[in-house]
Amino acid sequence: MAVPNGLTTQAGVGSDLSLECGVVVVGSGAGGATVAAELAEAGVDVIMLEEGGYHPTASFTAGTGRALRTLYRDGGGGMAIGRPSVLYAEGRCVGGSTVVNGGMSWRTPARVLQRWAEREGLRAVGERDLDPYFAEIESRLSVGPQDPETIGRDSALFRDAAQARGWAVVANRRNQLHCAGTSNCSSGCPTGAKQSMLVTSVPRALAAGARLFADVRVDRITLGRTGLGGTGLGGTGLGRATGTGVTGHVVRPGGGRGPAVTVRARAVVVAGGAIQTPALLARSGLRPASGQLGRNLSVHPNAVVTAFFDEDVTGWQGVHQAFQVREFTGEGLLLTATNLTPPMLAGILPAYGAELGALMADYNRIVTAGPLVSDTGSGRIRYLPGLGPQVFYQLTERDAARIVRGVELTAQALFTAGARRVLLPFEGAPVVRTPAELGRLLTRPVPRRTLELFSIHLMGTARMSADPRRGVTGSFGEVHGAPGLIVADASLFPGPIGINPMETVIALALRNARRLLERRAAYCI
Amino acid sequence: MAGPSSAPTGPAEPAEPAEPAAEVPWRLAARRFAEIVCPPEVRSGQRAERVLGEFGLMLGSLPPAARKALAVALAGVEQGARLYPPARGRRFTRLDDRVASAYVRALLARPDPAAELVRRLKSVLVMCYYELPEVQREIGYDPEPYIAAVSRRRLDRYGPQIRAHEAGPGAGS
Repeated sequence: MAVPNGLTTQAGVGSDLSLECGVVVVGSGAGGATVAAELAEAGVDVIMLEEGGYHPTASFTAGTGRALRTLYRDGGGGMAIGRPSVLYAEGRCVGGSTVVNGGMSWRTPARVLQRWAEREGLRAVGERDLDPYFAEIESRLSVGPQDPETIGRDSALFRDAAQARGWAVVANRRNQLHCAGTSNCSSGCPTGAKQSMLVTSVPRALAAGARLFADVRVDRITLGRTGLGGTGLGGTGLGRATGTGVTGHVVRPGGGRGPAVTVRARAVVVAGGAIQTPALLARSGLRPASGQLGRNLSVHPNAVVTAFFDEDVTGWQGVHQAFQVREFTGEGLLLTATNLTPPMLAGILPAYGAELGALMADYNRIVTAGPLVSDTGSGRIRYLPGLGPQVFYQLTERDAARIVRGVELTAQALFTAGARRVLLPFEGAPVVRTPAELGRLLTRPVPRRTLELFSIHLMGTARMSADPRRGVTGSFGEVHGAPGLIVADASLFPGPIGINPMETVIALALRNARRLLERRAAYCI
Repeated sequence: MAGPSSAPTGPAEPAEPAEPAAEVPWRLAARRFAEIVCPPEVRSGQRAERVLGEFGLMLGSLPPAARKALAVALAGVEQGARLYPPARGRRFTRLDDRVASAYVRALLARPDPAAELVRRLKSVLVMCYYELPEVQREIGYDPEPYIAAVSRRRLDRYGPQIRAHEAGPGAGS
């Protein structure tokens, strides 16, 4: 397989590597690739390290299993332990989760930014501060609405029903260059229309001279004397380190450990996502005074209602999600219709054997939709030697009630759209055939432990706060007490944002990269 | 159940992990479990074997702890049947379809963490079944021709705009 100039995969590393650069960036997703491109274009010597493999657009197919195994961490099978547990998925490949997400691109709501600024005393995170970054990102990543011919019938049915009920609906804005509507977002865009980091910021960074090493797992960060003239991480547990940089190793096919990789740098940017970033910091010995590292995990729990129609819907023929119902954002709820591939749908249906076969025989008559909740509960990442990062999350009763409410609203809309029966994401729930049945069923409490939930939005585990006693990082992503160590992913969020987080991650990364450049003399980069 | 815990860059999928002889019992239990939780057509042709092939690949992509948990779940399903009264002391792989199905139904309905593991095992196996191309075609899902058609449509309609954006300042190459 041909690889771009500047990219090295595991096949290209035969012995231990010892490298030097100005800034080493861990992760090549929304945050990491953005920082790398920005710094490289400003002339900084940048090395990106990505644990996942390089899988170009031409390699993407409709195979769900292959995608899960090659583009996702742990086959997409992460589980946040709790009652109920929440399944989650993280991307792990060059381009990170932007390769497998839906591409929804929304600016951070102003009320969220205001809350962050007020609660955490953050500087330069107001709407006016971030708007220029959002505008730049949206232009560069071709953010906009879908071309009409790519909207699938499942999305149209859900939109029409929501509007018939008088609900506010918005058309999705996505980072797409005339998306073809293949409904293959979660397995990698086979046309390259989705403007993921794989086809945008990663090639930009490489073109500007950055070096990217795929298949490299970073084991530890070391911070020593920095360009700022101080000893990095003083009092945080890494003070014994003698040089700034990272150590890691190449990952061979089969998961085997390959040659060691050592990178010495003036600054380290960590962008591994809200699970891996705190885990890496923790296993590097970082112990921020706030005690908040790995805490405050928000997951935006999702649930799926499965509706059966009399006529063919063929939801896989069209973009996998085209609209969002915004009527209930005041309650912390978003409702959407999202197509699932047969393996994904079969995996969540509450049936087996012949009964499962009968349900799946109607695959083309199924619409899947559901709520996303801006959660009030939180979880925690613990790094356990030998087991890696373990995620614990406790859904609150309040959020459980909102999920049930969101499921009820979704099911009502699906009945309005013409559904003949719906399956609810409550373990053991009966098939529901009418709105009246739905109402009767939900007069009884739904036990929290029976909710079937998943997440693809993970946030908050190295939150920003101007107060080192409250947050892990400061206003511009630098870890308190560790000059030269900067976080650039959704770990930074001081709480859930209630919408898809990608554009917020990119905006903060861009802003923080420019802050780094403003101070480049101090960092000697 | 050893296998790759990650998917590095490579020209092809990692091969299904080789199964040491000592792990044959795991495979038998997985096959029997697949026969019960997948639609009955799993028994036609080589489907069950291919489901197990997919399952092996999927296990290989899981972290070690999750692999172990699923292995424990399979062992639990196999040996736990002995405690299920209608099984009359037999292991899961020795049960006829009726009793095996009733046993699985009882397992899935339990409100405890062990049942959650069994549900997860079921999910992974049925995902593997619905990954088979002929099964997808049987339910009317045949995405590759569709993807080819809409990809052509995209280029026909928007080719100049796409090329202009890709050539613009700051765009990826």
